[in-house]
Amino acid sequence: MAKAKRSVGLIFFPAFDWCITPDHPEREERLLYTRDQIMEEGLLDIAGIYEYRPYVAEDKPIQRVHICVPSVARRVSEPHRIAVGGSMLAADLVLDNKVDCAFALLRPPGHHANRVVHGARGFCTVNNEAIMVEHMRRRLGPSIRVAIVDTDAHHADGTQDIFYNDPGILHISLHQDGRTLYPGTGFVTERGGPAAYGNTINVPLPPGTGDEGILYVMENLVMPILEEWKPDYIINAAGQDNHYSDPLTNMNFSAGGYARLTEMLRPDIVVLEGGYSIEGALPYVNVGIILALAGLDCSSLREPDWKPDCLRQPQHVMPIVKNVVSEVRRQWETRHQVKREDVFGRGTNYVRDRSIFYDTDQIVEKQHERIKLCNDCSGWREIYSQAAGGRIGHTQVAIVTVPWLACRNCRREAVEAYERLQTLGRFDQVFYQDCERDEYLCAPDHHEPGAL
Amino acid sequence: MRVIGIDVGGTNTDAALISDEGIVLAMVKTPTDHDDILCSVRTALEEIIASHKGPFPMELHLSTTLPTNAIVEGEGDPAAVVAIPGPGMNLLDYDFGFPVYSVKGYVDHRGRVASDIDPDEVLSAARQAWNDGARALAIVGKFSQRNNSLELAAKQVVEQAGLKFSQITLGHQLSGRHGFPRRIMTAYLNARVAGIQQEFAAVIERLMSENPIIAGVRILKADGGTMGLAESCVRPIETILSGPAASLTASLALSRRTEANTVVVDIGGTTTDIAVIAGGEPVCQRGGAVIGGFNTLVRALYTVSIGLGGDSEVRIHDSGVVLGPRRVGKAAALGGAEATPTDAAVALGLAELGQRDKAIAALKKKAAGAFASWESLAQAIIEAFVLRLCTAVDEVYRTLENVPVYTVSEILAPPDIRPRAVIGLGAPAGVFIPLAAEQLGLPWEILPYHAGANGIGAAAARPTVSLSVHVDTEQEQMIIPELGLRKQIKQALFDQKQARRAAVEHTLAYAQGLGLEECSEIQIVEEEAFNVVRGFHTVGRIFNIRAQMRPGARRVR
Repeated sequence: MAKAKRSVGLIFFPAFDWCITPDHPEREERLLYTRDQIMEEGLLDIAGIYEYRPYVAEDKPIQRVHICVPSVARRVSEPHRIAVGGSMLAADLVLDNKVDCAFALLRPPGHHANRVVHGARGFCTVNNEAIMVEHMRRRLGPSIRVAIVDTDAHHADGTQDIFYNDPGILHISLHQDGRTLYPGTGFVTERGGPAAYGNTINVPLPPGTGDEGILYVMENLVMPILEEWKPDYIINAAGQDNHYSDPLTNMNFSAGGYARLTEMLRPDIVVLEGGYSIEGALPYVNVGIILALAGLDCSSLREPDWKPDCLRQPQHVMPIVKNVVSEVRRQWETRHQVKREDVFGRGTNYVRDRSIFYDTDQIVEKQHERIKLCNDCSGWREIYSQAAGGRIGHTQVAIVTVPWLACRNCRREAVEAYERLQTLGRFDQVFYQDCERDEYLCAPDHHEPGAL
Repeated sequence: MRVIGIDVGGTNTDAALISDEGIVLAMVKTPTDHDDILCSVRTALEEIIASHKGPFPMELHLSTTLPTNAIVEGEGDPAAVVAIPGPGMNLLDYDFGFPVYSVKGYVDHRGRVASDIDPDEVLSAARQAWNDGARALAIVGKFSQRNNSLELAAKQVVEQAGLKFSQITLGHQLSGRHGFPRRIMTAYLNARVAGIQQEFAAVIERLMSENPIIAGVRILKADGGTMGLAESCVRPIETILSGPAASLTASLALSRRTEANTVVVDIGGTTTDIAVIAGGEPVCQRGGAVIGGFNTLVRALYTVSIGLGGDSEVRIHDSGVVLGPRRVGKAAALGGAEATPTDAAVALGLAELGQRDKAIAALKKKAAGAFASWESLAQAIIEAFVLRLCTAVDEVYRTLENVPVYTVSEILAPPDIRPRAVIGLGAPAGVFIPLAAEQLGLPWEILPYHAGANGIGAAAARPTVSLSVHVDTEQEQMIIPELGLRKQIKQALFDQKQARRAAVEHTLAYAQGLGLEECSEIQIVEEEAFNVVRGFHTVGRIFNIRAQMRPGARRVR
């Protein structure tokens, strides 16, 4: 019988009874053909590949990352909790040394979900990887270093938002250039907040980039950076929409390319993100990822319609890719030479005003964020968030967050702010999030109608 | 009709005769002659017939171990596989351990032919197999359960070339389930043992002509059901592991419990087998039977075997007792050398067997230095036995309850399979089952006839028939791999109800075609329905349905 060279924990949860709407790309049969292909290839019979059943996540792990307005219960459905639970289980399997690596092959996806959640955007409500990483940190302590490499064709703006000022996380997103694709962000200039400058790395790629271009980025940028940064864990947010057959994007990557990428990256945990060529790409890409994780030969893996032409990039692509790589490399190498005030100003706070559109739920959020520029920790944060549209009506909330390893001053100021904001009467709710103490408060607490 | 059930076991051949009303009329036990299994069957049959009064016709139910033994012992016709893998996992990585010749051609997951076979290549692969010594052949394609045309075309190439393989098994005929490597192994084993089963069938037919009182013969399957003799020659692989299945069928036949969920515990001398009945039906293996290290697609009952029995070795460890998994031989009470769990029961007066004083003496010897008295050791042995059994039962349920599921509703509201009663079989059951049941907080029942239950199980077994129906309305196709059926359908006319009806009708027709007059209810056991969407428009539906004749056993008193 076949035997894996590295053991793989597979949390496969296709959620065959969940969809956004029946003809939405995020619909019931998204992983149907993937299931058929995995079963037909006999991957679950391979010694060293083990399948696990996900569990339903409770509120707390979600609150470690998200501020769900008005409450976790209201925003996060059971399918989302299962995807979250499955991702956390993937991490637990690796942390407990039950397997060498794990693949949370599940939906709904999560990488467009920001810290503040008023609804769904980019098909995502809560961020599976981010909740998983926070769960790992809860288990192992704040000193662990985690690298997230997001290989979805869409910029991982949600994950970037959550870890933007987090020095413990390195977030690398490879994606189709934001000028040509949702969500329209992810430029090389987005490099992280004042406490984590340089830890956010964006690699926007021109439409048409194929195996040659993406593997060039892996070899000449991603792998050297990882080697230097030395993460304790590497997580791959594995979107599969760089595939040449994907209906929503314009890239040229193949299943074989994804397998090769996985072999190079050797991630500890892989979490599925997007990818909507459900018949032509996902079955083959997912089999490729599983084989690559298990250390098995992927060279006979090919899409049925694959021809050498499928992989040919337009001529102009490679020079652009090489330019992006050299620019991002330069930025990486000089990140410590950049003066903080040159980027974040000379004030006592770093302030960011944004308008965030929730395309899936048709909500517009206006956000004012203020992070204390602190020399002793990464700084406490205050967010005013006003959202309207969709089915939520209008809401205005304030949020206070305390980072891991917060200094005494920052925690004190944050606690005071939480008290003060409640007295203002301007906000429907005020939230307090303290990861280190695992304390998540909300005033007034939201109660479901009919509940006590 | 009266039924004779014969189970050829490893040690004994059990036979039982039951009447129309399900009353046990006769039971026979003869030692199994491994060099001549047929002789064992004949002896048991003749003894039963001799005890059988009157001119009543009888049906013979046979659990044969011939294919099982051939697989485990590496016998049968030398066989090889011509595989049509297409792109995917490297075929070499499967490490099959038998000759597999790979040829071009590919069917995708929707059953579309992505590339055809090359007849010349198929022929040279088959020739190569023949020249390498293969005399039976299996032809297996990836996704052939979705489209069998490449397998059929390849078979035609081999036959037209005049290659005289004794048997050509096609992968799609064996199962509608996914699993290319399992299909390869199943088809390979099937091809290998087909000759043995055919020979066996010929002998049985002769036996029937010698004994006109035998009106029909049915062969037991791994799922506890039966099939016809002719069918068993086409799919002999289905007969594997029918012995253990017969024991569970016996418990279904003999139990008086009315609970739909029960745990069946068969305590033997060396091992204890745990099986699960949920919703009135035995639970099957998730992937299929495993035999001789081969993973197959054969539908088989789920049983967990633990190394714990009446003759288990007793070891004293840190003033506690550890039992099994080794067997030490018969109980001291029966003249054995060492104290066993059976001796503990006999010594404490929980069971009457052999000489109690010998049991006590053996326990005294074992207790020396570690236990204050033989009584306290005996008590500790009984407790350890019960604890081990309860832990194993608990683990069985935890495993089943953690089987991955693919829908939100199954995660949120999993089906309740927890047992409501314990059913015990086997000689030591009377001692240990009541104690274990008490610890599990469940009522219990000890089945009678523990000495020859497998014969009763064979007699009580009913036919099982199950088909997988795959409907793809976008491609306007309905496929039933087990029947080799690919039928054009009209999309506009086909909905889920229609698909369900087609599944039931085909299963019924198939059962009737096999000569099953008393067809019990046809039920849908698995069902999936999906939209096929192209560019934000639904262009078709996919239905996957599995229908079966409701399995079960005849009631026996």
